[in-house]
Amino acid sequence: MSKLKLKSTSVAYLVLGFICVYNLMPFMWMLSTSLKTLQESYAIPPTLWPRDLTLSAYSKVLVYGNFPLYFANSTIVALSTALFSTFIGLLAGYGFSRFFFKGKALLMGIILSSQMLPGVLLVGPYFKMLSAVGLYDTRTGLIIAFTTITLPFSTWMLKGFIDTVPVELDEAAMVDGCSRLRTFFSVIFPTIAPGMVATIIFAFLLAWGDLLWCLSLTTSESVATVTLGLTRLVTQFRIIWPELMAGSVVGALPPIALYLLLQNYLIEGLTRGAVKE
Amino acid sequence: MKFFKIKPCHQGYLFILPCFIMLFLVLGFPALMAVVNSFTPIWAKKFTFTFDNYVKLMQDPVFWNSFRVSLLFVGGTVILHFLIGLVVALALNSQIRARKFFRVLALLPWTVPDVISGLVWRYMYNPTQGIINYLLMKSGLVDTYIEWLASPSLAMPSVILADVWRGYPFVMVILLAGLQAIPRQLYEAAEVDGASAIQSFWYITIPSLTRAIVVALALDTIWQFRRFGLIYTMTQGGPGHTTEIFSMLVYKQYFKFFNFEYASCIAVFMAIILFVVSLPYLKLIVMGSKGE
Repeated sequence: MSKLKLKSTSVAYLVLGFICVYNLMPFMWMLSTSLKTLQESYAIPPTLWPRDLTLSAYSKVLVYGNFPLYFANSTIVALSTALFSTFIGLLAGYGFSRFFFKGKALLMGIILSSQMLPGVLLVGPYFKMLSAVGLYDTRTGLIIAFTTITLPFSTWMLKGFIDTVPVELDEAAMVDGCSRLRTFFSVIFPTIAPGMVATIIFAFLLAWGDLLWCLSLTTSESVATVTLGLTRLVTQFRIIWPELMAGSVVGALPPIALYLLLQNYLIEGLTRGAVKE
Repeated sequence: MKFFKIKPCHQGYLFILPCFIMLFLVLGFPALMAVVNSFTPIWAKKFTFTFDNYVKLMQDPVFWNSFRVSLLFVGGTVILHFLIGLVVALALNSQIRARKFFRVLALLPWTVPDVISGLVWRYMYNPTQGIINYLLMKSGLVDTYIEWLASPSLAMPSVILADVWRGYPFVMVILLAGLQAIPRQLYEAAEVDGASAIQSFWYITIPSLTRAIVVALALDTIWQFRRFGLIYTMTQGGPGHTTEIFSMLVYKQYFKFFNFEYASCIAVFMAIILFVVSLPYLKLIVMGSKGE
């Protein structure tokens, strides 16, 4: 028996060792290229690690390029999206978790199935709507769009978290004279803080990584996000790989940092629905 | 002040109101507009109800090609995500050291925006300057430069493989959570009864994992159907139309050819497919929440 266990553990290590290499290789390649000179990035055969380490690609992108602007735009858009969508989702999640009302099942069904609407179905009409109200090519237009896209998932996730808080807590607060709103802010808000963190990260990752909506709803450089800026570095005739990879490293850092810092919350939030109802 | 005079049973509506206003304005109304557009012929100045676009769609070889390509892309990626995700989840669930370290590392690619993963893989696939051909040639497996993304037959498999890198970790995390929820006693009891490892896998692991598998497959399918940034940065649908999945085709129709009506028509078709595919998931979740 212990022999079998030993065998299965070594297979597990083998799988995980392979996965380490597989998962990390693109990161290494990205980092290594970003530290190369332009000539070296065109070398045939390529060099695995730069012969002449240089930060010139980073300085080109961060000092002479528009990357600080892209970065600021992405941060504003993704952060606002995450906060709005979590707040509105929290209200809705509370409504669904604590009240019984007519049509509740139908409304929950609508929330769930609205996740199935593909973005490309919505961008065209939404583009026309935004143009009509003067929000085309603004960060506000993007924030409203992203908030709504993440809203169904946020609502669902937060409803799940609120369901785990005993109703007796609410009732006790209300017996003590708290209004519904007061109960919501002073009892529910602090108790499900971890759930809110999970929802915030999830919405942030989604908004930070999007390309389709940014591409369809903005044109000017002043509101471009990191993902959009990166695709604009790719021209038809020539790609300056070190700069593109330096931009990618910079663009990948915030999501990675958030994930590394708060991964327990994120994983808990993502997997809750899959394990128990 | 008025808020507190509303009957308690109606307060629930107030809490969900902001959410539904947003959903209606940004999802509901545009979706409705897309449906209306899809029935409006391109020549019409205002709304006229015809099936012109749908008739055109059914006869359009580019659309059917995209249909096939989308199925290939979604099918290929979802199956690979699932298989690799399951193997890695099983490995992470076994008695190993440094499990936390491996878990953190395994989910890492998922956090990277698909635009960035597309760009990195595009450079890795570069025939002469990329690392993949370099490693293959150095190890003696091939002796010519392979055109991974420029060859019509290799472009789709290459894009799928690049997507797998970023996509399998999410499925893995869901399956791992499912595995961790299975009580150890079940396996111990089976062991006492003399069940083999394969038998306990088939009769304990897989049945207990059903819910996690349905959720993971459904969410993954929905997301893969909507995948855009990866294809946009790697191939833009080319060479020819060989990697032109639905989202790419609709995007081109909207913003390259400005065929709003025709684009809406394709998108509506795509939405219907998505809805049908996700029915088992919807059923599971809604049934689950009714049981509470």
